[in-house]
Parts: sequence; C-alpha cells; structure tokens
Amino acid sequence: MLTNADFLALEGTAGNFTATINLRPRYIDADACTACGLCTQYCPKHHVDPYNEGLAITRPIHIDYAQAVPATYYIDPSSCLFLQHETCQICVPVCQSHAINFKQQPEERKLHVGAVILSPGFGKIDPKTLAKFSYGKHPDVVTAFEFERMTTASGPFQGEVKCFSDGRHPKRMAFIQCVGSRDIGCNNGYCSSVCCMYAIKEALVTKEHDPEVDITIYYMDIRTQGKDFDAARERAEAIGIKFVRAKVADVTPWENRLQLTYATLDGQHKFEPFDLVVLSVGLESPKDAQKIADITKIGLNKYDFCATNGFNPLQTSQEGIVVAGAFQGPKDIPESVTQSSAAASLTAATLKKVRGKGVELKTYPEEQKVAEDDEARIGVFVCHCGINISSVVDVAAVANYAGDMKNVTYYTENLYSCSQDAQEVIKKKIKEHKLNRVVIAACSPRTHEPLFQETLRDAGLNRNLFEMVNIRDQCSWVHAGEPELATVKSKDLVRMAVSKARHIQALPEQTVPVTPKALVVGAGVAGMTAALNLAEQGFASVLIEKGESIGGNLKNLHHTLAGDEVQSHLKTLVDKVKQSKNIDVICNAELVQTAGFIGNFASVIASGSGKDKTEQTVDHGVIIVATGGREHRPDKYLLGKSKKVVTQQELEKQLAGKAKTRAPGSIVMIQCAGSRGDDLNYCSKVCCNHALKNILKVKEINPDSQIIVLYRDMRTYGFAEDAYTEARKMGVVFIPYEVDRKPEVTQKGAKVQVRFFDSIMQEEVTMSPDLVALSVGIVPDDTDTLSKLLKLPVTANKFFLEAHVKLRPVELSVSGVYVCGLAHGPKPVDETIVQAQAAAAKAAIPLVKGYVKVDPIVSSVQQDKCIGCGLCVSLCPYGAIVMQKVDGKRKAETVSASCKACGICAAHCPTFAISMGGFTNEQLISQIEAFGATGDR
Amino acid sequence: MGKAMNNREGAVMILGGGIAGIQAALDLTELGFYVYLVEKSPAVGGVMAQLDKTFPTNDCSL
Amino acid sequence: MADQEFNPSILGFLCNWCCYAAADAAGVSRFQYPPNMRTLRVMCTGRIDPAFVLRALAEGADGIFSGG
Repeated sequence: MLTNADFLALEGTAGNFTATINLRPRYIDADACTACGLCTQYCPKHHVDPYNEGLAITRPIHIDYAQAVPATYYIDPSSCLFLQHETCQICVPVCQSHAINFKQQPEERKLHVGAVILSPGFGKIDPKTLAKFSYGKHPDVVTAFEFERMTTASGPFQGEVKCFSDGRHPKRMAFIQCVGSRDIGCNNGYCSSVCCMYAIKEALVTKEHDPEVDITIYYMDIRTQGKDFDAARERAEAIGIKFVRAKVADVTPWENRLQLTYATLDGQHKFEPFDLVVLSVGLESPKDAQKIADITKIGLNKYDFCATNGFNPLQTSQEGIVVAGAFQGPKDIPESVTQSSAAASLTAATLKKVRGKGVELKTYPEEQKVAEDDEARIGVFVCHCGINISSVVDVAAVANYAGDMKNVTYYTENLYSCSQDAQEVIKKKIKEHKLNRVVIAACSPRTHEPLFQETLRDAGLNRNLFEMVNIRDQCSWVHAGEPELATVKSKDLVRMAVSKARHIQALPEQTVPVTPKALVVGAGVAGMTAALNLAEQGFASVLIEKGESIGGNLKNLHHTLAGDEVQSHLKTLVDKVKQSKNIDVICNAELVQTAGFIGNFASVIASGSGKDKTEQTVDHGVIIVATGGREHRPDKYLLGKSKKVVTQQELEKQLAGKAKTRAPGSIVMIQCAGSRGDDLNYCSKVCCNHALKNILKVKEINPDSQIIVLYRDMRTYGFAEDAYTEARKMGVVFIPYEVDRKPEVTQKGAKVQVRFFDSIMQEEVTMSPDLVALSVGIVPDDTDTLSKLLKLPVTANKFFLEAHVKLRPVELSVSGVYVCGLAHGPKPVDETIVQAQAAAAKAAIPLVKGYVKVDPIVSSVQQDKCIGCGLCVSLCPYGAIVMQKVDGKRKAETVSASCKACGICAAHCPTFAISMGGFTNEQLISQIEAFGATGDR
Repeated sequence: MGKAMNNREGAVMILGGGIAGIQAALDLTELGFYVYLVEKSPAVGGVMAQLDKTFPTNDCSL
Repeated sequence: MADQEFNPSILGFLCNWCCYAAADAAGVSRFQYPPNMRTLRVMCTGRIDPAFVLRALAEGADGIFSGG
C-alpha cells in the first residue's frame, strides 16, 4: 500500500510495465506513530478539514478519521507553520514516540508490474456551476457531500442537521437533483447515476433525525433503476417526503431564508421558501483524468471518462490496463465493487503464468494454549457503532454491568469496534490482561464475527474463544423508541454471552482440498463470459444449458444503444466457448441434484430427452448461477391481441429485418408496461434504453417517423442520457404519465387507439398510431428449482439474493455459489458481462487456493460414550455421520467436511456422546441459566 | 500484504485506493498476485469512507 | 397501568441461517417490535434439545420462541 503517492510515468508493455511513483513525505514516521493524537492537540495552526468537506477545522498535523488505513497521522504541508515559514515545530517534542521528522524527502519509486488497474474514482462539480443556486453566497445552500458529513454521527456535528447561517434546525428542506449532471451548460450531458439514490437516502436519514422536517425533492426523473431501489423511493414517499417533477431555475436569499424558483411540466413558474437547500451534485471524471490518460496512453470519452466498449466494458485502449469504478462512468458502490472484482479476474487471466510468484502468505503468531480447566479471563468490548447503538442503548451502563460479572477481567467501550484502531486495542488488551475469552457486544456475528476472529488469531488466541452479542441489528435498531428496555435487553444478552464464554473452548482448524472445476448453470452471455474467464485463468468448467443451443437472450438482440452490432459479437463468443479446451458444454441439460459443499460438490446433470435421456455426475468445486431471465409479456394494452401492438424486442427484430415498412410512420411507446407496481413490482432497468435504441434506429431508417413516448421516469442513466437528448433533438415527444392515470389502448376496427392524459398540455389526447411498442420488463427464468436444490435465497421478486447488496454483489449466501446476469436482477448487456467476470473472479479464489477451510463448529462424536444406536446417522440431513467398527463395536463418526453444524445429531443423541463445536450442551445450558438469572451476575 | 520487494513477478499496480481499488486489491491478492495499491491521499478508503449510510438499506458505510 | 400489563420474558432459539438472519434484516429495515425476547443463536433449530426448552421454562421463561 503506497499512500500519499503520485503516479508519474508508465513505461513498457502488458506483462512488463515499469511505473514511476512519487511518495510525498508525511513528515511522520509511519512505523513509530501510535496515532495517539497528541500532536493534533498541540498544533497551533488551523486547517480546513477536507475530509469533512470543509465543515470542520482540524490542524495541519492530523488523521482524516479514526478508522483510517494506514492509521498514521500526517502533516499537510500547505498550512504547516514550519513547512511554510520555518517556525513553530511544537509537535516535535510533544510526540512521545519521536515519530515527527521534518527531514523526510519525497521518494521516487519504480514498480515493476505486469498489469495496471485504474480506479481513480471521480471528480467533483466545479462550484461555478453551483453559483446560480447561491452556493458559496448563502451558507444554507450545501452540496450533498457536505450534507452527508453533517448527518454523519461521527461527523463534525454528530449528525445534527442545522442551518449554517444561524444554527437553527431547518423546518423546510429542498433537494435539487441533476446539479452538474444532465446539464449541457456545464458540459456534463450524462446522468451521474447515483444522485437520486443518495438524495433519497439523505432525506430518509434526515427524517430519522427529525420526523417533523418537511422535505421536497425537485427532480426531472427519479432514476432508482437498481435492484430493489424503487422500494426505497416508495418508502420515502410513504413517510411524507415530497417529490416534485420540476426544473429549478435558481435559488436566491430571501430574508433569512432561501427562495427557490422552479418551473413545472405544465409551464408554470412557482416559488417556494426553504431553510436549507441541498444540491445533489453529480460525479465528474477525476480531475487528473487527462494526466492519467497522457501517462498511460489510454483513450478517454468526450466527458473525459475512460473510453471502453460495451462488450468488453473494462478494457482500456491499452493492453494490460483495465479500468474499474467511477472512472469507467459514474456509478454506485455495488457496481464499482462488481467492476473491481471483474478487473481482478481480467488481470488474473492476463497474468496467469506468473500467478503466485512473489506473494507471501500471512502468518499468525503461535496459538496460546488455553486448557479446559484454565480459569476464564474474559474481556468484554461494548460498541457504540457511532450512534447506531449508543443513541438507544446506554453503552456505558452495559459495559459497567459486564465489568461486574464473574470472570470478566477487562471491559471497555469502543466507538466503532470494527475499526482498524479498535482491532489494535483489542489485541493489546488481550495481551495486557492475559484474556483467554473475548466477548464483543456490537452488531451481527453473521457479518462481523470473521473480522474479530481474525483479530483474536493475530493476538495468538484460538478464534473460537469468542462470543458476539448482537445489540444493534436485534436491539438498538428494533427498539429505537424504548431505550431503557433496550438497555436491559443488552445487559441480559451480554450476561448470557459471558456465561457461555466461561465454557467455550479452543477448536482445531481443518482444511479440505478443492476440485479445480466449476459448474456454470446457464449458457447465455453471463454464463459464457464467466466460463471463458475461468478458462483464461486456467480452470475447467462444465457449462450446462437447458435450451437447444448456447447464446441466451443475446440471440434476440441486434444492436446496442452505442450502435454496436450484437450478432457478430455473439458468434465470436460462442466460437470461443466451443473451442475452449477448458469448457465442456452440455445443452438440453438440467441440474437434477447437487450434494457436497464448497470445494467438493458432486452434481447430477440430466441431458437429452425421452429415451435418449442420460444422467452424469460431475465433481466440481464451485457453482456459478447464470440462469438468466426473459421478457415479461403482460396481458395488457392488447399485447398478443393486436398485430399493431409489439414489445420493444419485437420492434428491434422488425427493425433489423428487410421489410420496407419496418420503421412505421407513427409509433407510440409505452414505458413501464406491466412494471413498477403493476404485474411486476420493480423497474427492469433496461427498458428505457431499449426504447431509445429503437427510436434512434427508427429515425435512422425513417427520419419522418413521428414517435411519442409515454413514460413515468426516463431512466437513461450514465452516458445513455446522450441518446435521450439526441432523440428529443430529433423531435421525439416524451410525455410523462402518472401511475393512477395510465394510458389506455383499445381496438378500433383495424386500428389501435391510444388514449392518454397529456400532462404538458393538460388535456386528454386520443390518437391512432401505426404501431404501439411496449417497454415490458424482465422476469427471471425459473429460480425456484435451483433455489430449492442449492438452498439459495431469492428476493420477493424471485431474483437470487446476493450475500450483501453493497459489498458482496456476486456471492450467494451458500459458500462456493456465485450469481451473475439476469438471474441476479434486470441489467443491460455490459453490466451482465462485468458481473460475469466478477463472479468468475470470486469463483476462482477457492480454485486458485486449492483448499477451503472447514468451520471448526462441526459435530464430533465422543466414541467411548457412543452406544452405536445409529439414531444420528438416520437423522443427519447431509449424510455427514457414518457408522464404523471400532474394536469390533459400532461407533458413529462425523465427516467433518460435509457437516453443516446443524446439531440435530447432538440434540438427539441419547447418551450425549455428540458435541457441537462452539455450541456444546454445557455452553447452551449455561446461556439458558444466565437468561433466567436476571438478578445475578 | 507483506513487505515490498523489487522486481516481483506477477505484480499489479492499482491506481486509486477507493472502494473500487480496495476491492480489486483484495480479490487479486486472494487470486495469488502481489498488489501495489497507489493512493494519492494519505489514507485509502476514498469517498465511501466519507459516507454515513448506504442506499437503500441504510447500512453503515464504514 | 404498566404493572398490570403482561410483560412476558421469552427466550428465542434462532437458526443462524434463517431466523437469526431475518432478525438482522428486521433491524436493517428498522422494523420495531417489543423488546421482550432474548435471543440464543444456534446453527440450526435441529440443535434444540427438548431439555433446553424445559430448562428455559424452569429458569422462568414465560414462552419459548423457536425460529428456523
């Protein structure tokens, strides 16, 4: 990790680059700095804090935030008195660890690398663009980034929302969308794709802080096209956040408030007073985009983002250099995370030959022996989680309560137990107080247990000597209105955990080998891309397809919005798959049964039909689910009843044909046909772009064609906004409709008639176009079967549910199973390709390692107690217990790698011979006893 | 990530230590490659470290 | 009034994979429910020995919740 570093030069070619990096001095020795913060307290000079968006004052010598990595302070030379004027140096003697060193010089370093990933993020909109909204002139006009810091519990105002002008709490607030985006005026014609989401989030958070505040969001289109994003918008509306479709002209100071002037769709100008105005500023290309392009010789698009192609969305114009994140185009966190994993897999494929060279494995200190009868020395750490816990639960009271319990040697509170510095504290305290059990009361063990267990290992403790108490997700968050009872509950849970902790024991670590092969289910563009990428990384896969041939939905597409031809690309992809020695394609195939676990799956695949039906068993280590989706055909708007009503996909096919009348003279397009609260509860993300793609094609063939688009929100996010602008320039008319006033399509003789309310003219309109094109949504192909077979959770809309929507977007909750493409949610081809590459990256991880670790919480049989009744064998749902002859007697034995740790065996064993790691009878009984023992400690 | 050595074979440079760079670095190390994560500011984390909560679940961002 | 209200003390055995996850999800969605239950996480409700239930009742539980 090289921080404070500037990228100066890049020479060489793919596989053999030399990068020159300049490391700017921190003026603090990173190894010596303990991040105690004394220097900041003594530093006399003020420094505007950029981490807090300039809302706070810090000192030139500081650290951005407590969880910063590396956890080392630094001196900002721009305002340091010594570095600017050679005076002061107060900090030098103050530092107890003598870490401050003004003699540090910039250091140039050459890095020899095989490949480069560019992830420089995004830039911010020039304040000049914001001037018309009085930004910079009136203190109560803030950007959304500044507002984010304001609402943050650990931010400069502890999350309190107030006006800068006089510190009053705002009663009326406005968010203005599309500031610096979709704005030709500042040369940002594109949509920034994230502002609608963050505005809704910030509005919801503000309402959480103060339910009385009146919030209005002024927008052109609400673009919550992501998976389950619309639901958040509905939630916002339900709690009273107002959405007004209008273009805001300006914001001007008015008495001690702000006056907002806006124009609504029907052409009216209106004025509205507000206390606080938040500008939903867009994302720009990074400030140094041109410099990066000059150094690396990559191409940029017209908005200075990295130029790429829709079928290879992360490949820059230079071989060996890929891009990830917002530099590829404005995008949100899950898209960025997905792209990063995809970039990793592309890089891993190019550098396959040198994989594993020069990597050192992490080592842990030798484990301290904790014998069963050693007296328990328990450390209890209670987390504030910013204000997530402490705003409800009295954290100090809970910690003190724990401190009085038997065997609790040490107790404390943490602001964020998961932060890097808190890990250091935990490690230090384990050593200092010779702790042999650790209890952390914070969030859910489902998300954070691994992190803390890692910390225990770093401190030389067996990771099972750990117990977590969930006082956030299952306490403070769900009992927000009852702080006292939530505190009592927290104490009870801590008491139960400490009681269990007295009995927990160290458990051995085990590993099992991995079969280096993947099973990819579904051979559409997602499945094919994933299998190909794995093949390029050197791993075999079996690619099964239920249809006659591979190709999936791409077979129905002819060109992309960017104008690229689809079929030739599809042919290349199909040929590559067929020619790959690493890919075994089976068509007409279905997955019948899967047994095993990550690294060691065995699946039965049936192929053929009737008499030719055969079954084969495949051993594999991972599964990629790419079962895809299809067009939803709503029984509405005469679809299927009139020849004049088609879906966009059918129109696309017609346009790709040769018929003279393929581009009719008049078309009405109806967006969201059957979607967003109709048959389908969600937005399918691709339909607006699909409509525009067809519009541009129609106009290309027949420039005189009259096209009207009836829409709810045009969701042409990212660079697709350009196509929307172009279509409007060509005279295509876009008219929004309200959900309670949908257009109607009726048959009138040989014609179809469309009736709708024109919200611009404010009148009812009837017309008879040559063609009605419906933008229908996407539904997943059967996810039920696979969901049952592999025990995978699905969302309410029947798409597979990823393990974490932000940070683990392609992993499923079952280890070793990954998802990509339409099976995960509706998305366009380029996003599908990236997601497939990301799934391949994640799937390749166990294949590269060659082993997986077995959770030590599996069952074990104490064979001297076992009477060989076999009850456990008959009950185990995973076939993970077998009977064996030991000295001529029948004894049960656990197959650790197959064991899922459910504990049915232990619950039923008549002689209590079976024990579950981490969940022994003794431990659970002590927990139950502590539950009852409300008075004792 | 271990100590840096010169002339590592199979090394990758990632320019930018925001969420995208960090995730790519984590995945690449898991895939068996040595990574140089080059960040211009004094700490990695990028903009996500400035965020309070994330859409749509309002999970903690840090 | 509070004295007359029945305020049961409930011990909940929650399966790590479904009900415990659901309880986390309830938190993420900020659903509010009464704070009467104390949770005991198990890796599967199959782990629940009837003896645990009896023991909890003996320890003063007014009710047992088993979620899996």
